[in-house]
Amino acid sequence: MSDAAPASGVVDGLFRRSAGRLVSMLAGRLGADRLDLAEEAVQDALLRALELWPHRGVPADPEAWLHTVARNRALDLLRRETRSATLLAAADRELAAPAEPTTAARDEVRLLLLAAHPSLTPRARVVLALKLVAGFGTREIARALFADEAAVAQMLVRAKRTIRSSGIALAPPTPADLEQRLASALDTVYLMFNEGHSASEGELAIREDVCVAAIRLGELLAADPDTARPEVFALLALMSFHASRLAARIGPAGELLTLERQDRSRWDRARIDAGLRYLDQAAVGSRVTHWHLEAGIASLHAVAKRSDEVDWRTILQLYDRLLELRPSPIARLNRAVALARVEGPEAALEEVRVVAGHPALANYYLLAAVEAELQSALGDSAAARDALARARAGARTAPERALLDARIAELGSQAEREPPSRE
Amino acid sequence: MPKFLMLARDDGSAFAALSPKEAEAIIGRYIAWSNGLQEKGHLLGSEKLHDETGKTVSRSGGSLAVTDGPYAEVKEVVGGFWLLEAPDYDTAVRLASDSPHLDFGTLEVRQIHELDRG
Repeated sequence: MSDAAPASGVVDGLFRRSAGRLVSMLAGRLGADRLDLAEEAVQDALLRALELWPHRGVPADPEAWLHTVARNRALDLLRRETRSATLLAAADRELAAPAEPTTAARDEVRLLLLAAHPSLTPRARVVLALKLVAGFGTREIARALFADEAAVAQMLVRAKRTIRSSGIALAPPTPADLEQRLASALDTVYLMFNEGHSASEGELAIREDVCVAAIRLGELLAADPDTARPEVFALLALMSFHASRLAARIGPAGELLTLERQDRSRWDRARIDAGLRYLDQAAVGSRVTHWHLEAGIASLHAVAKRSDEVDWRTILQLYDRLLELRPSPIARLNRAVALARVEGPEAALEEVRVVAGHPALANYYLLAAVEAELQSALGDSAAARDALARARAGARTAPERALLDARIAELGSQAEREPPSRE
Repeated sequence: MPKFLMLARDDGSAFAALSPKEAEAIIGRYIAWSNGLQEKGHLLGSEKLHDETGKTVSRSGGSLAVTDGPYAEVKEVVGGFWLLEAPDYDTAVRLASDSPHLDFGTLEVRQIHELDRG
């Protein structure tokens, strides 16, 4: 009976949430150069819970219990580190202040903005945010990001060293700074989300965890008056729409399913509704960011009851604006898919050929996969098969390969029915 | 009903380097297990012993010796216990065999000798 036991008495997700909150609280009060100490104190508090709660039961207010233990542990560790009575007294005072829900959330936002600091690499920002704010363990991060555990640990050490040596503080960024830092934080959150969202072999549970964590970080930014900008809500909308399809995008054979092939009844209605609400909240002010446009595109897919009811014309317009605002070869490739629906495969193929030369898309399996669909629509199954073979060679994960294998098999059986046109 | 003491031993390393989520899952399993004992009326009490401190008191040749421990040199230390009521040894052992603690250490099941049972 013990194996699948629910955490009776322990609020589900309490430890991960508390870890992020407590590290933020301790770092917020002791300074960014004491991140390691904050993490150690929190880790010790969780270990203490692990030792005591099985015997003594879960305390009436488990969060408050963890808070007290982590705070006391932090003071112990500080005493070991320094003999300066003034420093200890100051830390004691800082840590004695009770945790108000509002200051707790602000501490988390500040730590997230710190993790999104431009002096760190984009991937290090994701790893740091997962570790410090989202309460993930190093091994979990490695599994979720398909990385080596030692490499993740090393990245964390280096990132924290950078923070210490550059004297990056946890103080609230100046208004001018905030603009840039928030943009970087949104990129970090979305990168995190995509790491979880991009289908990979096995381990779907941990990847969904990463998506949920990214959404929670977005919600933190949305709840803080300093960072609750329209683009934050737009990003939340975008993530909610994508998250609504998490369960539906893998087929029975473990293959990735394209939007048209997904069973729309399996899309998570609650997440779509949340996305629509966020989109409403994003529609404030006159500034339209790329997050708004991407969320708008995702919403049109999400609200279509059937795949032939998708409003491709509006999607194409949104892609046009997106490309004006933020030109990127991937957006242009996606636009070509919409273009095929509106103007036909010929025009789309023309576009695909133009973006094909872009170095960012070299060996990108979706480029060849899109080309294959267009060639197939134009009736050139030999060219379609050739493109699928190239896509298959560039695919990196098992679900991607399974998707392409299924398409190759489909084309093959079509070819049997109608003899291929050969030059 | 006969009473049994379940002594939980472990080497203290099992819980090191766990992620918050892993720690929470383990606590959940222990709590579910002890809730089960409670619901069936087996559980009388449970305590955790301090790991870091401990004294062994002995007397040899008239002189008292107090040493720190037992730990360090002992591989598995008693970290805590559960006090149970069960009709017989078989039942007590069965209750122990469901415990998540077996993933991290051992359980020693001992019946408490009661005066009226000789």
